[in-house]
Amino acid sequence: MKWLLNFLKGTWLGHPLHPILVHVPMAMWPGALIFDLLSQWQIGGNAMVRLSFCAIVFGLAASLLAVPTGLLDWSGIKKEKPAWKIGLYHMILNLVVALLFAINLGLRVQTFREASRISGTPLLLSIIGTALLIASAYLGGRMVYEYGISVARMSKKKWREIAEAGGANLPEE
Amino acid sequence: MLKDFLEGKPLRHPIHPMLVHFPIGLFILSLLLDLASLVFPNVPNLVRDSFYAMLLGVITALIAAMPGFVDYTDIRSDHPGKRTATAHLTLNLVVVALYGINLGVRSSSLADPRISIGPLILSLVGIVLLSASGYLGGRLVYDEGIGVGRHKRRTPTPADTLHFSAFKKGDGGFVLVPEAERLGENETLRVKIDGQVMTIAKIDNQVYAFQEFCTHRFGPLSEGAFDGFNVQCPWHNSCFDVRTGKVTQGPAKIDLKTFRVDVRGGKVFVGVSR
Repeated sequence: MKWLLNFLKGTWLGHPLHPILVHVPMAMWPGALIFDLLSQWQIGGNAMVRLSFCAIVFGLAASLLAVPTGLLDWSGIKKEKPAWKIGLYHMILNLVVALLFAINLGLRVQTFREASRISGTPLLLSIIGTALLIASAYLGGRMVYEYGISVARMSKKKWREIAEAGGANLPEE
Repeated sequence: MLKDFLEGKPLRHPIHPMLVHFPIGLFILSLLLDLASLVFPNVPNLVRDSFYAMLLGVITALIAAMPGFVDYTDIRSDHPGKRTATAHLTLNLVVVALYGINLGVRSSSLADPRISIGPLILSLVGIVLLSASGYLGGRLVYDEGIGVGRHKRRTPTPADTLHFSAFKKGDGGFVLVPEAERLGENETLRVKIDGQVMTIAKIDNQVYAFQEFCTHRFGPLSEGAFDGFNVQCPWHNSCFDVRTGKVTQGPAKIDLKTFRVDVRGGKVFVGVSR
């Protein structure tokens, strides 16, 4: 059980795992929208329709791993911190986004092999999904860059040594 | 202005780490499509799709390079993360060059059912280097705190640490810091006097000196933001009163060390007692 927590938190890697994994859906789903739009403008034809389909699948696959890692990082934040609430919104939005792209995928599964352009409903779902994803990812970034979540967590010892060498007052270890 | 924009200050979030999702994800997708073309040669368009994914990856990588370079130039030259940042930058240039070559090599055979071995190897090497580089970029944020809380600061951060020795001067432990005379309001210096690292800041037209390292996770207070007489650590927002060193907002619990500042005839002297 402990090895699993260690794995999901990224301790083994010296880098939190959630922000690594989210690169995939964060690139795939806006990418799918771009490919959808290109197919609408009759660029690329069926290649774009298939590429968009593959991108959504790959994004969903990676988000399956991003969920437990993110949940674990969030559970380590104290409830009274502002980052806890942001994390909660981030999580809810992400679930909505993943659900939208899962539905989106379901609507394409019959037609992506033949179609040369994407139809209206899946395109609309890609637009809404991408907009919500950007909002959600922004919140995730705010947790790091505004509130320092996971920052200096794994390098605490190194910085302590640097501060000690620099003559700083230090808390007890 | 342009620098502030590329550093993401209006968004209150650095721009480079937002944009890098795209090349990372798209280059991985491109490799997966290459591999899929080997396993499923009967599925049409896989080689073509891989090319398009890679092309979009290169375009977004070049866009991400611009704010990335600005972020790089803003790292203090003696920061422990500077070498990591240099490696990250160099690796990324190599990766983009490799993918540029890769696009050129495969552009003439987009109708092939299977990807050929040359571009496939280029993609594999590209992903390995990209993973290494992405990992270093993450370490810059999560270990070194680069870009964290930077948008809260309104004045430029110190480009260097100034080194002085109090005891050579023989002035009762006081050392002249000429650069401190030229400080503007809410500007800081990062100064090392005989091993003691401190921030010198000008607030309300007075000069104050206090320890550089936050007492929580040891973030850089010379890069902190000021609100009245409070300095706020860029990393986890602990606040301290610069006059007394006292904690005014957690998570830090321990007060800062402060240093005496003496202004004589417009010259600023900082005292280090041992």
